[in-house]
Amino acid sequence: MSQTVRAEFMLQTRGVQRDLGAFVVAARFSRDGRSVAFSVGDGTVRLVRLSELSDWREVQVHDGAGLALAPDGDSGFVSGGDDGALRRVTGDGSVSDIARFGMKWVEQVAAHALDKGRGLIAASVGKMVHLFDETGKKLKEFTHPSSVTGLVFDTKGKRIAASHYNGVTMWFVAAKTDTPRKLEWKGSHTGIAIHPEGEAVVTAMQENALHGWKLPDGQHMRMSGYPAKTEALSFSKGGKWLASSGADAMVLWPFFGGGPMGKAPIELAGGDGVICTQVLCHPKEDLVAGGFTDGLVVVADIGSSRILPIAPPDHGPVTTLAWSPDGTRLAIGTETGFAGVMDFARR
Amino acid sequence: MADTTTDTTALIPVTVLTGYLGAGKTTLLNRILTEQHGKKYAVVINEFGELGVDNDLVVDTDEEVFEMNNGCICCTVRGDLIRIVGGLMKRRDKFDGIIIETTGLANPAPVAQTFFVDEGVKAKTRLDAIVTVVDAKHLPARLLDSNEAADQIAFADVIVLNKTDLVTPEELAAVEAQIRAINKFAVIHHTQRAAVAIDEILNRGAFDLQRVLAFAPEFLSGDDDHEHNEDVRSLSFEVEKPIDPEKFNAWIGALLQDKGPDLLRTKGILSYAGEDRRFAFQAVHMIADGDFIGPWKDGDPRVSRLVFIGRNLNRPQLRRGFEGCVVD
Repeated sequence: MSQTVRAEFMLQTRGVQRDLGAFVVAARFSRDGRSVAFSVGDGTVRLVRLSELSDWREVQVHDGAGLALAPDGDSGFVSGGDDGALRRVTGDGSVSDIARFGMKWVEQVAAHALDKGRGLIAASVGKMVHLFDETGKKLKEFTHPSSVTGLVFDTKGKRIAASHYNGVTMWFVAAKTDTPRKLEWKGSHTGIAIHPEGEAVVTAMQENALHGWKLPDGQHMRMSGYPAKTEALSFSKGGKWLASSGADAMVLWPFFGGGPMGKAPIELAGGDGVICTQVLCHPKEDLVAGGFTDGLVVVADIGSSRILPIAPPDHGPVTTLAWSPDGTRLAIGTETGFAGVMDFARR
Repeated sequence: MADTTTDTTALIPVTVLTGYLGAGKTTLLNRILTEQHGKKYAVVINEFGELGVDNDLVVDTDEEVFEMNNGCICCTVRGDLIRIVGGLMKRRDKFDGIIIETTGLANPAPVAQTFFVDEGVKAKTRLDAIVTVVDAKHLPARLLDSNEAADQIAFADVIVLNKTDLVTPEELAAVEAQIRAINKFAVIHHTQRAAVAIDEILNRGAFDLQRVLAFAPEFLSGDDDHEHNEDVRSLSFEVEKPIDPEKFNAWIGALLQDKGPDLLRTKGILSYAGEDRRFAFQAVHMIADGDFIGPWKDGDPRVSRLVFIGRNLNRPQLRRGFEGCVVD
């Protein structure tokens, strides 16, 4: 990127930004695409309607910090916090308990929408994953050998995968008897992504590397060379690429043509020596958003490697990115409390 | 591109409290928390704790140790602490320190190594000191029936020798001698009901390279006469001639690689040839850290000192090795 001329950052002209005053833990859009929520380290969730971008509503949800956020129903959210609470926040800002787990943290939350308004909510508390239906009724508990560090549903909501020490456990959500598939690899796995077509599971590892298993055969994949820990993993639409943070560029591994084994990844928006902390692929196009430790946010076209600058490198490490379901908006949050919503919609 | 903004706020100090069940760890913890010091601490406890802990911010955790895949066989790390430190940093309400209480049988090495190995943890916190609470009456029996009791003493920067009212002066002297045989360098406080001034426990800077040998009051006093090789003991060495950095790095690197599992803690202040600053060195098992600290004071003898606490220490071999690092 240019060293002398400061690029124009689109957030300043086509977006809205706020200082939320505390660590922005997660941003998520509602499933109806009408609002976005930011979970913040002061225990609040900030709700923003996309039709009224200047109106940021503050809802107190946790006595402590929020740790995880996921969409719920059409317009609401579920939030886990370090107060041991798993809570529901409706689109109009009312809050209710789904479950409370005492002093244990609710560290991971995942949600999946089934048809006819039904849905699944999963939350990890230590080694346990608790599964609820859309009403908050407890369906199941899954136990793991150590604390769960990443939790993800597959595209159809049939399986849920959890990362932990020494591998991943995949559970069939509706199975009568719980005999999980165990994907094993020694070490501490700290995050997880599942291929949208179910062809692979990939984890981030403590030793600045990724580990993966091809499905269904379980063949191992190892992707290394990262200077820092990978905090974010994201498959592109259809699963052609796996984007990852942890290097001084967005690193994208090809999951086609025999890859990623034996193939080099492509690197986007690199060259400044600043570590990428967040990546998120666009829901419709071969685009990827990336956030860096200095607050820089860009969107890159994977095909052409063209870079669109979104937010300037002024706001501390980027901690979260979220695309709206239709891909016309991008939400951004950083460690220093900066939050923004970028509008890509045609005017 | 604009300059990267760096966080200049001080790193959050972390105090590790170890000690056997019943030694008085939780009593000490509650004493720290209830004393009027106007400070806020995040307390990390495990679910098998003896007593309730009275604090606003208590995190209940399972001690989850894993081995790093870095070719270092004794490099074990507490993954739960990595997540907890990351989570605590998200809170708006900041705190002045973190106190980690370990289970009675815990080996302190994984806790300590977590603060050397994980970049995210290192970026936000610093290990301040390992404080070990021991029971004056029951320590001799604990030393006989487990390795952990000796490990906890060996790793300690501060030892709270508690329940002194339950032993005779002769027994107390004997138990202190046992502690000193293992760890000559820790500060020992005699207490009843874990009554010790908070500033003797917190903010010690024991892992600060600047103060790496500050806890060695008896450094030059007589060397130990304890010769059971299976036991943990401490040895100290000094050389007067300047050290050749290349020779030292080659020797200590090979030594830590080879004997790392037996070397619990290693610390030293070195006088490198042609260098006016002191070089400070420390290691926990195989994980080492070193840097130049302030200049030698005028008039002070430029003597290089090295301390080992561990098992199966071969004094003549270590002495020859260290002496072999001087410039020709």
